[in-house]
Amino acid sequence: MEYLLTVMVLIGINVILATSFNLILGYGGLMSVAHPIFYAIGAYCSGLLAIHLQIPVPLSILIGAGIAMVLSFGVSLPSLRVSGDYLVIASIGFQLGILHVINNLEFTGAAGGLTNIPVLNEGPSRSLVFVLLIAVVAACAVMLVGWIVEGDYGRAITAMRNDEEAFSALGRNAMNIKIVLFAIGSGMAGLAGALYAHYFAYVTPEQFGIFTSAALLTMVVVGGAATTWGPLVGAVLLTTLPQAITFLGLPVSIMAPLQGVIYTTLVISFLFARPQGLTGGTRGGGGLEAWSASAAFRARRRAE
Amino acid sequence: MFEVQNLTARYGPLVAVNDVSLSFDTGVRMGIFGHNGSGKSTLLKCLVGGVRDVSGAVAFGGSPIVADQVHRNVMLGIGFVPQVQNVFPNLTVEQNLHIAGSKSDSSFLEEAYALFPLLRERQDQLAGDMSGGEQQMLAVALALMTRPQVLLLDEPTAGLAPAIVKNVLGSLSRINTELGTGLILVEQNVLAALDVVERAIVLKGGRVVFDGASEELRAKEDLWAWF
Repeated sequence: MEYLLTVMVLIGINVILATSFNLILGYGGLMSVAHPIFYAIGAYCSGLLAIHLQIPVPLSILIGAGIAMVLSFGVSLPSLRVSGDYLVIASIGFQLGILHVINNLEFTGAAGGLTNIPVLNEGPSRSLVFVLLIAVVAACAVMLVGWIVEGDYGRAITAMRNDEEAFSALGRNAMNIKIVLFAIGSGMAGLAGALYAHYFAYVTPEQFGIFTSAALLTMVVVGGAATTWGPLVGAVLLTTLPQAITFLGLPVSIMAPLQGVIYTTLVISFLFARPQGLTGGTRGGGGLEAWSASAAFRARRRAE
Repeated sequence: MFEVQNLTARYGPLVAVNDVSLSFDTGVRMGIFGHNGSGKSTLLKCLVGGVRDVSGAVAFGGSPIVADQVHRNVMLGIGFVPQVQNVFPNLTVEQNLHIAGSKSDSSFLEEAYALFPLLRERQDQLAGDMSGGEQQMLAVALALMTRPQVLLLDEPTAGLAPAIVKNVLGSLSRINTELGTGLILVEQNVLAALDVVERAIVLKGGRVVFDGASEELRAKEDLWAWF
């Protein structure tokens, strides 16, 4: 039972992460893969505040999320100057740079990780209560993103994703939208990290590396980029699948690479066979087709 | 009024516009011509602050045009229609117009439909599904939603069939006469554009080699030597 509840906590955290990543990458078209570093910032900041300053855990969780939100400027400001492949490179640099700092500071527990983080709640029903809490937070995250992308602001996000130059030519400031998307998305990732830290009471730098970026990307692509429910479906699928594999009883030396192979195969398969993801519909209705529609559109216009 | 003084624009080591000085009133109908790579599109972009690496000065109505701040410069009363990438393919016609109108007054929507009745018929259609000519009409309507005093158009007839070219240029003339909006257009289709503009500028190697009346340019026997 405890195992099942722990898997459900992981699902909830991944739903928050994938949903917030989808806001930036899917809806905003901002090719940043540094999302896990905001997950790390939330986890470490909240954990350190609770350990060293004895700040109450609920408050430290909120501060951790706030710090992640503020530090999102580290990626949103470069996006003023670079986009596409260059933003991917800049975001990887940001992610690896912060991870390097965490890995080498004694204060953060260095490579060994941060231990003895105070838990949010205790008692015999601890996990069940936490599952309910994370379910509410995850539902709020999905609803918040759904609300942001609806209406006038959502259409402005779509227009910016379609074309920044045309968007600016109408007197609209793309940078404001980018800053807002990065801040909200990163704040949500920070919240997920803080919740993780105060449930498992232990975090290590290796949890927030490129592999986590790849896992989140897989969740968004498989579920359906730029859709409301896609990241939720992707997170549930991609969290339960590796757990299911453990029941095969394979040796660890095979299990770890197998997980990587599954992620890679899923991403490539969906890119070719179903770019709109599991939940994406027609063009403009989500998925990578909507994501890349402007690129295809521009290519067609140039060819005409 | 536009004032351009000693404008030089670069892309890295390449000088695209070289020491250009010009001035023109907002109600002007002006064409910027030249062969590929002559700097005409760059000059047009400089007028709205779309090129980062510039020296010299551009001012509109006494306000300086700040490089790399297109969204602010547009609000001074300059409409800009890029050559491609000028509509939002994932949004419907009406949603496109709302994006543009949200910075000014959405009541302009009716005026845009009055000017381009076809857009009203297609209001629920995705912009990406429209033909090239229809998209160009939508792009012009988008720019008009910001209520510009002058409209900058980068090759508005590129890739369009001759009949559609006539239609688009006719619409631009109507905008100029009915709304008093100035037109500054970069065009490869020189002869068609000369029917619309009253002043012509020819660029070569980033420098102005001709600046005069459109009829004067048309009368030049060595017209094609410029291009």
